[in-house]
Amino acid sequence: MQSPTVKRITAGFVAIGLTASLAACASGDPLGGDGEVDLGTITVGSQGFAESDILAQLYGQVLAAGGYTVNYSPSIGSRETFIPALQDGSIDLIPDYSGNLLYGADPEATATSSGDVMEALPKALEPLGLAVSSAALAEDADALVVTKEFAAENELVTIGDLAPIASTITIGANTEFEGRSYGRAGLESVYGVKGWKFKAIDDYGGPGTLSDLLSNNIQVADIYTTTPSIKQNGLVVLEDPESLIAAQNIVPLFNEKVYSVNFANLVDKVSNKLTTEELMSLNEISAGDSKPSPEKVATDWLTKMGLL
Amino acid sequence: MLFVAAILFIFDPENLLGDKGILPRLVDHLLYTGLSLGAALLVGIPIGLLIGHTGKGKNVVIALTGSFRALPTFGLLLFIILFTGLGLWPLVFVLAVLAIPPIIAGAYSGLDSVSRETIDAARSIGMTEWQILGKVEIPLALPLILGGVRSATLQIIATATIAGYVGLTGLGRFLIEGLAYHDYTIAFAGAILVAGLALAADGVLALLQKLVVPHGVSRGSARTTTKSKRRSIPSAMTRAPITEG
Repeated sequence: MQSPTVKRITAGFVAIGLTASLAACASGDPLGGDGEVDLGTITVGSQGFAESDILAQLYGQVLAAGGYTVNYSPSIGSRETFIPALQDGSIDLIPDYSGNLLYGADPEATATSSGDVMEALPKALEPLGLAVSSAALAEDADALVVTKEFAAENELVTIGDLAPIASTITIGANTEFEGRSYGRAGLESVYGVKGWKFKAIDDYGGPGTLSDLLSNNIQVADIYTTTPSIKQNGLVVLEDPESLIAAQNIVPLFNEKVYSVNFANLVDKVSNKLTTEELMSLNEISAGDSKPSPEKVATDWLTKMGLL
Repeated sequence: MLFVAAILFIFDPENLLGDKGILPRLVDHLLYTGLSLGAALLVGIPIGLLIGHTGKGKNVVIALTGSFRALPTFGLLLFIILFTGLGLWPLVFVLAVLAIPPIIAGAYSGLDSVSRETIDAARSIGMTEWQILGKVEIPLALPLILGGVRSATLQIIATATIAGYVGLTGLGRFLIEGLAYHDYTIAFAGAILVAGLALAADGVLALLQKLVVPHGVSRGSARTTTKSKRRSIPSAMTRAPITEG
């Protein structure tokens, strides 16, 4: 039961839609050389935490400035969810972390240093129909973090120092930590750290994990190295001399169908300027009192770097 | 196939006990449900009875509790955790907030459905207000009061799955672990367990609801039935659909 007005409005939308699609055909015409060429639509995803949202905006805005139509699809979730989304075309690009990406794509992979990981990545991603462009210098790796007091009390410097007290500690991290290469299996085989209790706190090392660490409900937390709370609370990042935890440089991960030289040049512009210090300061701005949107944080930085 | 695999998972004795076993998680889930329901009853029943008996403040309370229902439970939980840190009490608090509105609505509409003549008769034979409440109104209203409790229980059981996100356990862990590792068998098994628990709890409460109908009412049921049909709007409020979990 549609009223005449509703019908007329619907007809209007249909007409607008038709015009728009005709216009889209016109601008896609390879013979209509002059004017802005529409390079196509790129949907940029993000992983559901602030840093990923900012990175998505950084790559997205540079692509938009370069002539692409860019949509954002924030908070896709963990790697296990966004890889299929990239493959089926729900998203085209997502900022990811090189080491975790490699292990996700190739569970047999052994590379841990920054260079080795980037060398191994293209081959591991090829069967998935995915590709990466150059990695940023910026690195945001998982880190096992303890409070200053706990480190002093147990003379902790490296992850291996946890071995003698392992059966008395609880490690807090996201659910999937336990199953990762540097989770239960890796900690035991590389550092002999075994028998620890696990507390799943699914906030990516956020405020819940932090408060549990500070109140000693957990003794070790998995917090990312660029998280401002590490500096703010004087937390100690346990050293990883055996490179158990792989390098985690920022890489733009995309479906190989969207690759072109122009596309790669655009995303590389961002990667080339992004260092760990810059990334940490972006995170701090984003977590600051005025709570700026990821979009604004990204625009400000890109403008400052002369990329917009 | 997924269904069969999930059923096999549930009945595999290996998955019953231990750190990630069904039984300890079920016990935790029941603990969260019991504590939250208890807190919600302590707050909701007196308020519902008060406005049902006096008829005062009903518009305010109904509007207020109605707006409580719109609060997203998970959002509220994360917000509270920012201040309190992780723990059991923030969860119990938000689940109680979720459960109070249907409990108040049930208690209020239960009392509201008691016929005025019955109450006037009780008053005219010299009963005090407390006696009217305790000996006339509550017994007659008990089925509807329990209807509210039933609805609240279902919502708590379904929503207590969020405990798994904030460092607690409960049956929600199966859903979260299943999704995190893309092992849909485990996620599906978790969904079946939560649904099964909800159905079982609902069955028990439905039975209880039948048992508490006072004898006098059962005999003269024709009268009370028409009465409660006429008042079907407030009683429908106790059957609000579960919007979360």
